[in-house]
Amino acid sequence: MLLQRRLLCTQVPKRSIHPTHHQNSNLNNKKWAIKQVTKSNFAETLEEIKTHIFNSDFIAVSLQKTGAFSSPWQKVLPFDTAEVAYLKAKYAAERFQVLQFAVCPFSVKSSKIIAHPYNFHLFPRDELKMGMPSYSFFCQSSYLTAMAQEGFDFNACIYDGISYLSRAQELAAKDRTGNPLPRSYMKPSQSPTVYSVADSMFVDRIKSRIKIWKRTCQDSEKKTEDDLISTLRKIVSGGEVFGSRPSLSIDICSERQVQLILETLQEFTDLVPLLVPAKVGGSQAIRVVLTSSKEDRNVFEKELQLMEEEHNMQVRGFREVVDLISTSQKPVVAHNAINEFAFIHSKFIAPLPSTVDEFRSSLCSVFSHIVDVNHLMREIGPLNKVNNLPAAILYLKRRFTRPLHMEIPQHIDGDEVRVHGRDVLRISELFAKLCLILRIVPESPEADYSTSSSTLECYANVFNPCFISSSDLLDDDVNISTEKTRRISVANLVFLWGFRGMMSARKLKSLLKGSHEVFSGEIDVRLADRNCAIVVFWAPGFAERFLKVMNSGGTNCEPIKDMISEGLRAACYRTYKRVCELSIWEPSLADALEKALEEASDLPEANSEEELPAICWDNDELTNLDDL
Amino acid sequence: MNGSSKFYRTKIPVVRMVVVMKNLFTIRAFHKSLISLSSSTRHFFCSSSSSASTFAIKNVTKSNFESALNDLRLYVKDADFVAVDLEMTGVTSAPWRESFELDRFDIQYLKVKDSAEKFAAVQFGVCPFRWEPHRQSFVAHPHNFYLFPRQEIKGDDTSYEFLCQTTSIDFLAKYQFDFNLCIREGVSYLSRSQEKEALGRLNARYKDRLLDSSSCWREGVDTKLVRVADILFSERLKNKIAEWHDGLLGDRNGASQTWKTSNDSKQQLKTIFFKMRPALDLTGFTSHQLRLIQLKELKDCLCKEAEMKIKAAIGFRHVIDLLSSEKKLIVGHNSFLDIAHIYRKFIGPLPSTAKEYVISIQKFFPYIVDTKVLLNASTVCQKISKKSSTSLSKAFALLCPQIASGVKTSGLADKRLVKVEVQVDNKRSLNWNSGAKHEAGYDAFMTGCVFAQACSHLGVDFTLNPSSVDLSHHEKLQEYINLLYLSWINGDIIDLKTGERKADSICSKGFKAHHSKILFSNTVLLWAFPAKLKASEIRECFCKVFGSSSITFIYHVDKTAVFIQFSKQELVSDFLVLKETLERSNDPISVLHPLSKVLQGGRTRAASYEVYKQICSSTISKVFFADQAEAVGIEWNAKLSKPVLEVERQVDFEASENQLYTDTRNETEIVSGIDPPLYMHSPTDELDSLCPAEAQMSK
Repeated sequence: MLLQRRLLCTQVPKRSIHPTHHQNSNLNNKKWAIKQVTKSNFAETLEEIKTHIFNSDFIAVSLQKTGAFSSPWQKVLPFDTAEVAYLKAKYAAERFQVLQFAVCPFSVKSSKIIAHPYNFHLFPRDELKMGMPSYSFFCQSSYLTAMAQEGFDFNACIYDGISYLSRAQELAAKDRTGNPLPRSYMKPSQSPTVYSVADSMFVDRIKSRIKIWKRTCQDSEKKTEDDLISTLRKIVSGGEVFGSRPSLSIDICSERQVQLILETLQEFTDLVPLLVPAKVGGSQAIRVVLTSSKEDRNVFEKELQLMEEEHNMQVRGFREVVDLISTSQKPVVAHNAINEFAFIHSKFIAPLPSTVDEFRSSLCSVFSHIVDVNHLMREIGPLNKVNNLPAAILYLKRRFTRPLHMEIPQHIDGDEVRVHGRDVLRISELFAKLCLILRIVPESPEADYSTSSSTLECYANVFNPCFISSSDLLDDDVNISTEKTRRISVANLVFLWGFRGMMSARKLKSLLKGSHEVFSGEIDVRLADRNCAIVVFWAPGFAERFLKVMNSGGTNCEPIKDMISEGLRAACYRTYKRVCELSIWEPSLADALEKALEEASDLPEANSEEELPAICWDNDELTNLDDL
Repeated sequence: MNGSSKFYRTKIPVVRMVVVMKNLFTIRAFHKSLISLSSSTRHFFCSSSSSASTFAIKNVTKSNFESALNDLRLYVKDADFVAVDLEMTGVTSAPWRESFELDRFDIQYLKVKDSAEKFAAVQFGVCPFRWEPHRQSFVAHPHNFYLFPRQEIKGDDTSYEFLCQTTSIDFLAKYQFDFNLCIREGVSYLSRSQEKEALGRLNARYKDRLLDSSSCWREGVDTKLVRVADILFSERLKNKIAEWHDGLLGDRNGASQTWKTSNDSKQQLKTIFFKMRPALDLTGFTSHQLRLIQLKELKDCLCKEAEMKIKAAIGFRHVIDLLSSEKKLIVGHNSFLDIAHIYRKFIGPLPSTAKEYVISIQKFFPYIVDTKVLLNASTVCQKISKKSSTSLSKAFALLCPQIASGVKTSGLADKRLVKVEVQVDNKRSLNWNSGAKHEAGYDAFMTGCVFAQACSHLGVDFTLNPSSVDLSHHEKLQEYINLLYLSWINGDIIDLKTGERKADSICSKGFKAHHSKILFSNTVLLWAFPAKLKASEIRECFCKVFGSSSITFIYHVDKTAVFIQFSKQELVSDFLVLKETLERSNDPISVLHPLSKVLQGGRTRAASYEVYKQICSSTISKVFFADQAEAVGIEWNAKLSKPVLEVERQVDFEASENQLYTDTRNETEIVSGIDPPLYMHSPTDELDSLCPAEAQMSK
């Protein structure tokens, strides 16, 4: 796939510059009004997108990463259970980086989609000098090349990309510096304290010091002084300037003293205390800022708040957008949701948990509804083969002629063709179409969105790579062939490797057919990667029997014995799962399975009573090496 | 507009100067006036604008690679030495993978190996230097190659995956590295082993196909072409090809008749050009149809085509092959990592030990000299550099002031300064300075200048010989050739001829020679202890158990792990056994035990130094050491739970350590008086120094 894409790109390098020529969607003759956002226009865009997010019904997201999977078997395959698919997505999300994050808040009104597409350029710059958000990341040259073909500006991205911290990282950063604000603004606590003798002495000393300092400040304001004298006075009184206002730093050595000073300062209405954090956590000094009046104090406090917000924005960076999407509680639409959200979770929320269930619950606490257009497409049967967006849109356009117009109200200056992040528009369009077909969204514009949300509910938050079709939801006029997909327990799957040289699935099947009676029933053989095959035994129990024959070394069965002596190996689905659990990400699946078997021999046998899930087997969907 | 006028203003004097020089150098009598003239021109340059006073470096990308390579062949052939420098996408894949003082020789190599395996080289500077006797100066040809590991042929996808260290990328950005140019136009490459593998795969497939087709023939000579449709199809195709062929010939004869492929056959046949010859691109056929076509076409052709593609994919490796085959003296600055990258990218996978590696690298590059070694090892150079930093740009400014800043030093000093004339395409300059620091091509140029100057200080007289000097075999350089810093922080120098540590006194000069004090067999690695436990607290706990003088030092690997060196070797096993018994039992004594503070939480792990090696040799790179150990742990968790086993294993390790350190053991007694706090690393210090960009800069 990847290779093909790359080759295509090298053959037609100019294509990218005129992307509209090859687009089959109705986005065809429209200018790509996707707003490109970098550090320089991030602050203004944040305000803008905020209103769009809260005023739209759905939010489509699409990520451009520096890579996806290192070898064919490491991508999410049709025979993967949710657990395995998650582990694969997790591995990718932890290794690669997101360089572009497209967000498109949109609404569907009768036959119109109103979309506000944005494409954010991200770079994990270490703004706090703490090795965050990311110490390092992997790149796949094919991905970078493909982005370059689309005219992506890597310099702009690296020089001017928006950084971010995940929620977990922000907490850690706070933990590490004590307080992320260089001069944190704080209000004294209300709890009354009992003074000891030492305390009251300390308080008195501070009080007199502040009074003297205040007097000098106010004196010097009245009369104009020689520069030298004012400087000297400043040194003597320990005064500094905070912005345009005079300030005084008081060194502290315990949290108790902080408390005392804050209480003391309450007496002075024109003083604002600020905490100066120490390097090792806690605080090292209190800075007292003198304001000239009540109004000035209010102005100053507002200034501080603004500063804090600005600082927070610098720390959180792009995550502000993710947080906005989260607080809006709007349904989030994505393509291949498990991959996209594994990235989103690991970069903007927290490190990925080890199981899919934890992942799901953690994600649901942040985004209430996640809809995968892939799953919606599966509802319409034949589409499940169409895994890329333009092809899916084209298919829908041919089959369902109901017109749907995309409207992008925002205006973008400049003649530059803004193509980056256009997938997010495709997702919006596809989703709107599918909604109409599947009757998820009411067609009348006045109908409330909330009534439709229950219908949407059944499509939300599904992360299984194979989604079980619920055909009662479908239009009668849609002709669906779901016969091809059959459910099968993974207990009936066996991985085979170690066959001689390169072999086609068909050849392998015929070879197996003649070798043993277990193969006399209905079987399917597919190649999972170059030198590992997966065999499906449709008759229950046969997989187990075959594994027994393999374990016995092929006794009583000459053809199998011969194949074993030539290096044939087999493993059950559990071994495959263990490969992913133990992160044995060898380039070749055969090597990985081999390693997992070795590991297993060291460890006590896992309880074999564990209930095995079922997957959907699609006769057409497996890797066909001729197509690679 | 402004820029272009600047360009003309500066360009004219350069041209004039070259012309003048060409006229003059034949007339020896005017030699002196040449110098004065060129120096006056230099002043002219400086006064105009220092950055504009020079032409751009030779940047090489995909588009001009072929021609640049051809030129480079001649330059390298004539060169006395070739300076190289690389820019990478990163240096360390995790903070704990940085070089530590506590890294044993073999571990230093493992860390370099990991770096070279994970990161990509994005810029490669090559700068051949040639001595021109009649001009009494060197001529340098700096080249700046942009590299990108683009996948040109099918194969192992994982080798087209590389790591980027965020801070290094930021560092490159700071020096205006052009990432777009690199990714879009960078020259790709294929290592020797990749090429071999690809050819092997091709042969296998070719053979397979032959077998396939022959078996097809055997089974189904008749079935293949019995279907009427098939026969019709092949006949039609034959006609089409004949028609196409005639059409093309007709074209050549001047007829304007064109063969409308797109209309005729729905773009199934497309005229393309294959190696300057017209070819047909066959698309849109079913696989069955393709099989029919292929039966008729020669498979040889396809195989040849694939082979050509592999050959074409070699790309930048031609430059490395050139340097290797010419057996030129390679000059680098702190170049062990650079050379390791060269090996990994253009030769093959790095061997697992330093010894195997150096034997192999010597086969390709028999003469390598490192300017950092030269500057630190030779007393003459040390005197000149006044023991200041030996970072490349500092050394360049100090040793070659006339090039670095265009300042003409007067009198005696000037005589000893080696002149370097730079040639880029047809432009020449005696005081070229592009000023683009941390650009591989310019860094290579600086390295070469520093080397030439250092040679002159060491007493290599370029002026004596009528032709060029054989630097590779020059007696004055012999003691420095093939010596590289394996780790700058330790001052450990590796001898490429033997693969062993150079414990020679000449090289450790200026270094605190305290690394020999580290006794690896007395060292224990402790990780995943309760967070926020400080080194001083750990020390306290240990001292309570083993005595106040039991700990020599505690060294932070990162915030999750420490090295603890005991004063006696027995204490290592004592501790590991004690730890295990404490963890097993749950009685009040073990809860009240002083070590329980360290073992609290039950996750604390400890192991001997050898486990550190195992962890370093893993391909995994987690950011924190404790996570790394856990991830690697899958492979040896059985061993870990039995620390006693580790102690036993340590005995055979001792033998190998002795072998490596026979020469240092004697020193141990002498330096053992050094104050222990010297090795104490506070956690904050450690975290502050975790800036790889700085590490790169200090190069």
